[in-house]
Amino acid sequence: MKSLFGRRSAIVTAAIATALVLSGCGSSVNDSASEASGDCGSYAIAMHAWGGYTASAQVIADVARQELGCTITQTTLEEGPVTYDAMEAGTIDLIIEDWGGGRWKDWSDRGAVVEAGENGNIGIIGMYVAPWMVEKYPDITDSKNLNKYAALFKTADSGGKGAWFEGPTGYTTIGEKMVSANKLNFKVIFSGSEAALVDGFIKAEKNKTPFIGYAWQPWTLHSKLPTLEAARVKFPANDWSDPAAASGLTDYPSTPLIKLMSKKLNDANDPFTSLVKNFKWTNADQNGVAADLENGMTAEEAAKKWIDANAATVASWVGK
Amino acid sequence: MKVRKSYLLLASVTVWILLGRLLNGTHTLQIATYENTPFTSFVGEKALDLRGNRTESPAFIYFFNPIRGAIDGFVQMIRNLIAVPGQNSVIPVIGWLGVVAIVAFVVYATSQWRTALLSVSLLLACGALGMWQFTMDSIAMTLAAVLLSLAIGIPLGIWAGLSDRVLKIFTPFLDLAQILPTLVYMAPIALVFMIGAASATIATMIYSIPIAIRITSHAIRSLNQAPVEAAESMGSTNMQKLSKVQIPMAKQMIVLGINQTVMAAVSFVVIAALIGAPGLGKPVIDALIIRNVGQGFVAGFAVVFLAILLDRSTSAAAKRQVSFIPPTQKQIKTKRLTLIVAGILAVVSVFVSRTMLWAAVWPKEVTIAPQVAKVTNDITAWILENLTIFTVGFKDLISYGFLNPLETQLAASPWYVTVGMIVALALIIGGTRTAIMSFVLSMAIVLSGLWYEAMLTLTQTIVGCLLTMIVGLALGIWTGRSDRVEKVLRPFLDAGQTLPAFVYLVPMLGLFGPTRFTAIATGIVYSIPVVVKIVSEGIRAVPQTLIEAATAAGSTTRQIITKVQLPAAKKTILLATNQGLIYVLAVVVIGGFVGAGGLGYLVIAGNSKPELQGKGLIAGVAILLLGVIFDRIMQAGARRSS
Amino acid sequence: MSSASPMISVQNVWKVFGNNPEKVIGSADANLSRTELRAKTGNTIAVRDVSFDVAPGEVFVVMGLSGSGKSTLVRCMTRLIEPTQGQLQFEGEDILKVDEKRLRELRKTRFSMVFQHFGLLPHRKVIDNIAYSLEINGVKKDDRHARANEVIELVGLQGYAHAYPEQLSGGMQQRVGLARALAVDPQVLFLDEPFSALDPLIRRDMQQEIIRLHYELGKTMVFITHDLSEAVKVGDRIAIMRDGAIVQIGTPQELVANPADEYVANFVRDIAKSHVLTLKHIARKAEPGDATDGPELPSNTIIRDAAQVILQSHKPVRVNDNGTALGIVSSEDVLRLISGGV
Repeated sequence: MKSLFGRRSAIVTAAIATALVLSGCGSSVNDSASEASGDCGSYAIAMHAWGGYTASAQVIADVARQELGCTITQTTLEEGPVTYDAMEAGTIDLIIEDWGGGRWKDWSDRGAVVEAGENGNIGIIGMYVAPWMVEKYPDITDSKNLNKYAALFKTADSGGKGAWFEGPTGYTTIGEKMVSANKLNFKVIFSGSEAALVDGFIKAEKNKTPFIGYAWQPWTLHSKLPTLEAARVKFPANDWSDPAAASGLTDYPSTPLIKLMSKKLNDANDPFTSLVKNFKWTNADQNGVAADLENGMTAEEAAKKWIDANAATVASWVGK
Repeated sequence: MKVRKSYLLLASVTVWILLGRLLNGTHTLQIATYENTPFTSFVGEKALDLRGNRTESPAFIYFFNPIRGAIDGFVQMIRNLIAVPGQNSVIPVIGWLGVVAIVAFVVYATSQWRTALLSVSLLLACGALGMWQFTMDSIAMTLAAVLLSLAIGIPLGIWAGLSDRVLKIFTPFLDLAQILPTLVYMAPIALVFMIGAASATIATMIYSIPIAIRITSHAIRSLNQAPVEAAESMGSTNMQKLSKVQIPMAKQMIVLGINQTVMAAVSFVVIAALIGAPGLGKPVIDALIIRNVGQGFVAGFAVVFLAILLDRSTSAAAKRQVSFIPPTQKQIKTKRLTLIVAGILAVVSVFVSRTMLWAAVWPKEVTIAPQVAKVTNDITAWILENLTIFTVGFKDLISYGFLNPLETQLAASPWYVTVGMIVALALIIGGTRTAIMSFVLSMAIVLSGLWYEAMLTLTQTIVGCLLTMIVGLALGIWTGRSDRVEKVLRPFLDAGQTLPAFVYLVPMLGLFGPTRFTAIATGIVYSIPVVVKIVSEGIRAVPQTLIEAATAAGSTTRQIITKVQLPAAKKTILLATNQGLIYVLAVVVIGGFVGAGGLGYLVIAGNSKPELQGKGLIAGVAILLLGVIFDRIMQAGARRSS
Repeated sequence: MSSASPMISVQNVWKVFGNNPEKVIGSADANLSRTELRAKTGNTIAVRDVSFDVAPGEVFVVMGLSGSGKSTLVRCMTRLIEPTQGQLQFEGEDILKVDEKRLRELRKTRFSMVFQHFGLLPHRKVIDNIAYSLEINGVKKDDRHARANEVIELVGLQGYAHAYPEQLSGGMQQRVGLARALAVDPQVLFLDEPFSALDPLIRRDMQQEIIRLHYELGKTMVFITHDLSEAVKVGDRIAIMRDGAIVQIGTPQELVANPADEYVANFVRDIAKSHVLTLKHIARKAEPGDATDGPELPSNTIIRDAAQVILQSHKPVRVNDNGTALGIVSSEDVLRLISGGV
């Protein structure tokens, strides 16, 4: 069996083996470059996909790297249980902005996830119409008048009723409850992703077509549609203190956004732990960075711009 | 007989429509999305318990967690080698130059220098797209999944190749794995093995092991039996027969199986990012979420490049041995010499990639990503600007003309009417056994509490499949009849099959907005290549003599197509329809991301909302049941028609 | 022909395919035709109550059309297919009773097989194909190559030792098959339609080759064929099979001269009788006017071989059986026989 294949694979194996042996010994770039470490460990930050989150996460990651010498990896994954599981598994250490309103309870009860306080941003969720409609139909922002305009919002997918574009899958959504509690003649359409909503609002505004959809603050879309906030539909306030009383919900409450740490990060009690606990900024801060991102800066550039401009805040976070 | 069947079909459809109209809106089993049935909340609680148990229950401590640890470790090892820095280091063990050199060397050794050159260019292109590290991560993930899949799949495949009984036991599982939309089993896997590389690897393996088993067993079974019998007649033991005769002879086809396994694993690269796989999936999914078509395509191109790279390098290895005759001494000597030189170069490159920073970390300045993103963004913007009128018109046409009536019929009719119709269809097309099976599976969906959502998904799948078949048949016949068309279309079909559905979900969203049709359109684009391929193969397989006979009898081209080629390829076309349905179903489910609702939305929602977890898991099962019903009815139909 | 101790003895061997094959044997169903049986029980009788002996050194041919069960029969004889019922002895040893290990030993050393489609290992060189059975016998590489080279010479494959099967013509490939079968120096060769896949000209060469090898080595052979002229050419005795059963066993002359039934008669009709029959079969009494002083030939001369002498002689040939005059054969008699009459 002196086939070439045999001989050739022997050469290949030998070459690869040599390469591996070589890579195992000898000086490498690694040795010369293992400088920055300090007493800060290495951590993974969950990167959720919306622009505001990216802004917060990039800023805290860069501060941790530059000011504290931490090794930070940024891992993209979906929000919610997926990330809590990852924290429990030890592959994620920080969620910088969680909107979940306590849905991590099962994990925090087990000690896998630890609350690290509010991050200073206040989350506002609501139903918004396309801004141009406010001018044309001034009373549309009162939920009582929505049924009057329901026919405007009809699409091929809404079964004869108005189309109500619900928020992305992982987000807190109570559209079906709002529709029934406010007795609205609308059908909830699950837009599935943030992209779909951005698209819906921008197109509607541009083509002056009717649109009602889920939106929130802080959100980068506001920088593209500055009049969006005025287009929020006001629903009667409701009692959010008892989320279990599901059927009576008429509108979303404001939510202070929460930072969540892994058990490992909490227990480490090192400079990064205190940075996480101290991190706090405003909706305006976040929107500024997010807007830079939206306008084409890379996350690093946008974060650097904010860090450079807010040295004092950064100093207060790292305790210098 | 044939006439009677079509009358029966017509009659039952009429009855179904009448009953549906009459009882419209009653017993639809619709419940609000946030509501759970006792069954779904039970499953949800169990799932939550399972999460809690992961640190306590012996099944986890002694079984699942060690598996997860081992696979994680394996993946991490490969990643550290080429993709990410290990502990206390800033670069991976082998830098980019080293990786390029090793790939070039290995591909050159297993095929020719041209393939090696192509592979290197593709790798460099991935780097230039700014995707070097993602690409390396994807290669690492693919490599890990493929190695493990082969380690399991080839022995099992050989076993199934040797024993009829084993094959019989495996077959239903292999069939099931082919029908199963990937999105469906990722949640349960993540539940047990947690989010991360291990789950992603296992999910990939579930997808690729069946392919390895199938091809290996087929390789053993389709061997020329004469040498095998001869070896037996000479007194070989079973082991000798296997090691000296069957495996050496089947080697070539098994290598082809490796190629297919690799391709299956690559096609998983994107979707696996949903459960924490590092790699190219991340930028693709990010692009979907922030609707950045340009970024989506940049990452998508990298996926395609990677797929082509892995395909060409592994299929070349398979083809190299068309004949069992090895090259001459002289050829061997020349090749050996060049191999040694190339090997030395590779070793030096690896060494350099460990000592010089420029060769270790892909230089950020070398990038064409912004340009590519800009071009694609501009093109998309132009299309959105100028074509939306047509696309929206088309979307509304399909929605009002097909989707809404069918949805009313399927989802707004009482469940028992629709179940009755499905069973009647199964009976007429497939016979009693198929009918019983369809009844049992349909009832399982009814009892799961997700009947209404299942009907929404069914509607979209049917409409998607119909459109796919219209386009796919036309293109398939065309490519089947003309070598030139086939030559032109082939690369597009190949690329279409490797490009992850997620990549075109983004522009589709731009064209059609968050609607059911976006999911359907994506499903159509995704499934057309496979339908075209199968149909054109079917057309090509029609014996030339038949066509010559028809031509000699004075048939027109149209008559040849409708009277000769289509009837002769009927079975293949039914199989193509079946494949189309399964593919459309798989994508319609992803449509939950873009407003398609239905079962897919529940699967996705179940992943992110703890209170919907049970519903999401059950929705996955319901998708599978739908798929099995489709598949059984179509397969039975294909069997009967032959 | 049957001597005191046959090399192979086949007694009442049955092979029935399908479920519960034993039940068919001995029941009334066994008498049904194949299609009827398959419709009724799903079984197929491939070999039906077959018995015969093969003497040492004999070339025993099993002849039948496709589907007659001859290939199944030869596989039953080496247990590549397990017979359903019957006895099978090889040099007095009951083959059906031996265990796997002994069976492999017998296959490795005592009998070997040549196949219609050669069955060569495509990934091995000629020499390694031939040495395969020695290899699994544990013979060292140098020794087995030495032996393989001997056999290569024997079958006339000199110079091809390092070729691969697919580089060879069909005839050459079957020479490799023959060489491989001979490599272990077996007592018995089973040849399953060895030349059916070859071109007619090559087939004739190979038939000569077999005859030569048999002459040189004296191996016992069981030779399967569907070609009666081949059977006649190589066989000492021929068994004609039909629907799994043996219709008649006999020497070529016996079959041609005395077919047992219509089926055999139909078969042998097309055989060139001049190739099979001897002068004994056509010698006739001299009639008035026949010259009786022509050349003299022994009665067991095959007519074809005698033809030249007879046709060139102006007088009828006198046929002599060990000194007894049997009669005469004239040119007209020979021409009538060749042209199809009796």
